[in-house]
Amino acid sequence: MEAKRKLIGEDGLRLDGRAWDQLRPIKLEVGLLKNADGSAYIEWGKNKIIAAVYGPKEVHPKHQVLPDRALVRTRYHMAPFSVDERKNPAPSRREIEISKVIREALEPAVIVEDYPRTAIEVWVEVLQSDGGSRVAGITASSLALADAGINLRDLVVGCSCGIIEGQVVADLDDTEDKEGSGDMPVAIMPNLNNVTLLQVDGIYSREQFQQAFELAIQKGREVYSMQREALTKKFFGDGQPSTSEEVD
Amino acid sequence: MSMMKKNYVVETIRKAQMVELLAKGERMDGRAPDEHRPIKIQTGVIQKANGSALVNLGNTEVLAGVKIATGVPFPDTPDKGLLVVNAEILPLASAYAEPGPPSEEAIELARVVDRGVRESEMVDLTKLCLIEGKSVYTVFVDVNIMNVDGNLFDATSYAVVSALRTAKMKKYVVEDEKPKATDEVVPVPVERVPVSVTMARIGDALVVDPMSEEEAAMDMRITITTDDDGNICASQKGEASTISPEKVLEAADMSIRIGREIREKILEATR
Amino acid sequence: MIPGDVIARGDYRYGSYIEKRGDSYVALRVGLAEVGREGIKLNPLTGPYLPRPDDEVIGKVIDINGFGWVIDINSCFDGFLPASFVFGREFSPSTHDLTTKFRVGDIVGCRIESFERSRDPQLSIRGHGYGKIPKGEIIKLSPTKVPRLIGRRGTMINMISERTSCDVKVGQNGVVVVVGPPEGIVKTVNAIKMIENETHAADLAKKVEEYLGGAPVGS
Repeated sequence: MEAKRKLIGEDGLRLDGRAWDQLRPIKLEVGLLKNADGSAYIEWGKNKIIAAVYGPKEVHPKHQVLPDRALVRTRYHMAPFSVDERKNPAPSRREIEISKVIREALEPAVIVEDYPRTAIEVWVEVLQSDGGSRVAGITASSLALADAGINLRDLVVGCSCGIIEGQVVADLDDTEDKEGSGDMPVAIMPNLNNVTLLQVDGIYSREQFQQAFELAIQKGREVYSMQREALTKKFFGDGQPSTSEEVD
Repeated sequence: MSMMKKNYVVETIRKAQMVELLAKGERMDGRAPDEHRPIKIQTGVIQKANGSALVNLGNTEVLAGVKIATGVPFPDTPDKGLLVVNAEILPLASAYAEPGPPSEEAIELARVVDRGVRESEMVDLTKLCLIEGKSVYTVFVDVNIMNVDGNLFDATSYAVVSALRTAKMKKYVVEDEKPKATDEVVPVPVERVPVSVTMARIGDALVVDPMSEEEAAMDMRITITTDDDGNICASQKGEASTISPEKVLEAADMSIRIGREIREKILEATR
Repeated sequence: MIPGDVIARGDYRYGSYIEKRGDSYVALRVGLAEVGREGIKLNPLTGPYLPRPDDEVIGKVIDINGFGWVIDINSCFDGFLPASFVFGREFSPSTHDLTTKFRVGDIVGCRIESFERSRDPQLSIRGHGYGKIPKGEIIKLSPTKVPRLIGRRGTMINMISERTSCDVKVGQNGVVVVVGPPEGIVKTVNAIKMIENETHAADLAKKVEEYLGGAPVGS
């Protein structure tokens, strides 16, 4: 009988060589889609995800219009070729739940009262998935919303932590998520210091829970600085965003 | 998955400019009527897929992914592997695309591209048979339209062909009348390269590789797919209008000629 | 600034796209901030056009019903131009054919007459220079860049118009129509692209001036 594989080696390193608190490599790009009002692409480890925003725009069907604020619509969808075994393109229950939690993670940042009777649509498309795709999707969606020029209280950034072989680790990949004992995706608005997404899967002691939770927030803030960099790169070129300008 | 709502209205001024230029043999973006936009093909972009290709045809962007597994053959073709082509116009691709089950446009798109691949016998499906009547390779090609700027037919076709040409699969052998995976990785048995060429009619002129604005002004579209020998293996006329027999033959000649040139590009990109 | 950034602390007057949190003034959009004695201002670099009464906009007719024209004004809402505003008080759907004035696809210069929270913006074409725009080169740019394109008291747009010998109609909604000699149109389009891509450059006006050269086109 095959022994269960060890996720953390003798040297304390994980299967892909990372330390317990190390993030996978992350790459971000803003504004790559021509038609969307705002868009962003993220590579997070092996995850490859595109987020696009359309809006504010007219609401269809009309009966769903909200008189005093924008309706935020979100869809998280995985491409059939994004996972090991081909996935049927029709939305699964998992995708539907994730669509909902992503919407609820992003909405607090959107000043929906500024856009009554409109819809703001966020489309998250997972082209390749490898653990932590919902927080990666949220991180990209937040950039897409900023790219679209929608009034935001703050950006939203996420990171997932969990437990493998009794140890709290940051940023689980697909193997660690499947073979480990717990996963906790967390999303925050970094300046307002508010949590907008929290899900727990697994069993944590009170201590482990706090450890994983605080680690997720700390790592999320690291990803936030990458978000800033990506936005700065697109809008301000290679220079720093300026605080004053000569108006002609 | 989408309904391309027919409410992209082209400005009368733009349409007039289009027709005026076409009378001089020019188009809004400077192309000649029989000229296609720059084609960029990148393969192997999705490592978890057996094969993949990202195609840019001007601003139209399409991503195809191939997933290969084993399964049961169709009862009427017990000795052939399964090849399924599926297409989805993602809501992020256009302001006129909505999520939901595939629209008639998306289904037509997938079926026309599938016909081109199937009728040209691009993939020898008998080579994908493991145990006749019981077990075959199943090849799924799923296409995601990422950005719409006209001519989804050709962009999708090139992406499907490029993804299949560069796809690798685990080799299976038959042991004890069951398929067994080996560690060997082999390419998908691709024999030929079908190439589709789409033309739109604006006024009297036929323009190759229409962009969104030209599609909004067109009253007829025709897609013709040719194979390596210059044979026509698939064709589809679109839009509720008529086309004269002479124009059909003119279109056929254009697609054979242009198809040859594009085939070179695809072969180059998928070497 | 990116959304969530603190622009300044203290006690200031402040404009749109800024939120006051305690004694901090926070940016709500990606943009460039100005801090001065008169207050804090954030100039956004991206974002939709939201209709304001009296704005001049350039739109495209996308639908016609019995009572007026539905016009795409490049905003989150379509505008509506009532037939009675064009035909006058004697208008009646049975006696007046709306397509005799504007058809689907026509480009129309309008004014935002009113914009109430409960319905789509109402448009009018009263005033000099409004109405159907029969020809010209159409350019779209981000509505947030329109103030830069116009310039303080119109200096930028006037300079472009003079040097290119073109008539440049600018809608607040980011739609521009240029009429003039072909070489002038090319220069105008390029100047607009320059303004759109380098909005944050401190010496933008000078760059555009240099590009357009000294003598007006055709002289």
